[in-house]
Amino acid sequence: MRLLRKLARDKIGMLSCVVFVGIVAMALLAPIISSYDPLQFNYDETYSPPTRAHLLGTDGFGRDVLARVLYGARISLKLSLSTLAMSLVFAVPLGMAVGFSGGITEAIVMRGIDVMLVFPPTLIAIVVMAILGPGELSVILALSSYTLPQFVRLARASTLSIKKSGYVEASRNMGAGRFHIIRKHIWPNISAPVIVQATLMVPLLVLTASALSFLGLGIQPPTPEWGAMLYDAKKAMRYAPYLMIGPGLALSLFVLSANLLGDSIQKIVNPRLTRL
Amino acid sequence: MLRVAVGRLLFMIPAGLFVVTLAFGMFHLVPGDVAVMLAGETATEEVLEQTRVKFGFDKPLHVQYIMYLSRVLRGDLGISYYSRVPVIDLIVPRFLNTLKLAALATVVGVALSLVLGCFSVYWYRGPLDAVATVFSLLGICIPLYVVALLLMYLFAVYWRVLPLSGMRSWQSYILPTVTLAVYQTAFLTRMTRTCLLETIGEDYVRTARSKGLSEVRVFVKHALRNAMLPISTIIGLRFGYAIGGAVVVETIFGWPGLGRLIVESLLRRDLQVTQGALLLFAMGFIVTNLLVDVLYAVINPVLRYE
Repeated sequence: MRLLRKLARDKIGMLSCVVFVGIVAMALLAPIISSYDPLQFNYDETYSPPTRAHLLGTDGFGRDVLARVLYGARISLKLSLSTLAMSLVFAVPLGMAVGFSGGITEAIVMRGIDVMLVFPPTLIAIVVMAILGPGELSVILALSSYTLPQFVRLARASTLSIKKSGYVEASRNMGAGRFHIIRKHIWPNISAPVIVQATLMVPLLVLTASALSFLGLGIQPPTPEWGAMLYDAKKAMRYAPYLMIGPGLALSLFVLSANLLGDSIQKIVNPRLTRL
Repeated sequence: MLRVAVGRLLFMIPAGLFVVTLAFGMFHLVPGDVAVMLAGETATEEVLEQTRVKFGFDKPLHVQYIMYLSRVLRGDLGISYYSRVPVIDLIVPRFLNTLKLAALATVVGVALSLVLGCFSVYWYRGPLDAVATVFSLLGICIPLYVVALLLMYLFAVYWRVLPLSGMRSWQSYILPTVTLAVYQTAFLTRMTRTCLLETIGEDYVRTARSKGLSEVRVFVKHALRNAMLPISTIIGLRFGYAIGGAVVVETIFGWPGLGRLIVESLLRRDLQVTQGALLLFAMGFIVTNLLVDVLYAVINPVLRYE
């Protein structure tokens, strides 16, 4: 694709793309890379520092940290992708419809969204978790509570700018109905910024989900999740500081590569006039 | 100008109502019989009934809502089951603690980032610029609690120079503040640099230079001053997010703040406290946003006529 060719010229973008894809690949290939079961207790080898057998050490239950990090990547990816999927399916049509129709509906919906977006994502997530209780589905819904309004706002703003275009007006004059215009003219034109925004959201979602697990509100043990692993690492800091390395590095690398990749993609899709 | 202030104030009302409604709804949306949660698992049906009457659960929902609203406006937020202390006595001092942390971190962050940003642009592409850029990138991407854990390990466990948790001495302020400040600094440095670079390219800077003004004067009086406008916008936003980040930092460092209280009360199912704390948190957030907006209107005359 044209995108990939342009990306190849941006060295940092290329590097971060490689790292990001690498992480995703490792997540998908987890059972092949590591022969350990991330949930398997092994009381003979608890709190072992990194050795050849256990490259990142073992935790308090004797579970191999590397395996848990790899499977944790799966969980993080699953969470963020589910959240994005759900948000896109619901938010984008709503945003397009609201932006296109305008009027009182638009005013009410946008006011509601403005109110919701005043708060930082972590706070909203905590509130939702308070209501729904712990668990994967709750986390997805909690994360969606932040992404849904964002996407509605984005979809609406983009729709508004496309609405003024000549071809939309011409279409209307020819008697095209609302749905037809939205489907054929508006959506293809706003899909680019929406997809870019979705890409940029992934690191934020993974960070928020990990923060929730870290606080004990999100993914529950024994499911391996980077945030929860860091919580365990914190508890054992005095005698097993190496436990921080695995999940900490994984999180940092993931967020770093995702952010850089998102930046590069954005630079390509929205050519910016001022050099950053 | 007044119009903007009034407009923002009016916005506070639906926002506040939304928050109160959410707090109210939380109490009732929580799965499980609330009366059981209040009276305890072993309470008899009689006691449960009494609890329901006492808290007004037997009345229809909208009546409860009005009751709740009036209670909130009077400042009665209930009593914590855990510590039997009125909620409001619990949350207000903790809120102040959180504010202390967030404010301190933001001030440090702003000061550092302005300095770093300015000098990075002054010696564009110099060694300082490179270091600052890398640092800001890392600071943004490494999660808050990873930074916290790293700092905690280095300074409190390995070298044992700083206290691990609590709020006892002035030293205990250092670690939590620095942790929060790292993200702030990283973000703001990047922003400062960007805004300054954009401003430097502007025509009036070129004019000032051609007038023969010294580079320093051009930089400070013209470029920096104008770049401050978008920068101050971001600073305001950042303070709000700092409060959000404080939740995690407080939990890690055992800082007696509101964020940690929310999490703790949530885990303990101490609903009255969670409700009250969230309410205060959210209201504080909204008020902060309002104050910040008004402040912008003061700084930047353009915003006065929105």
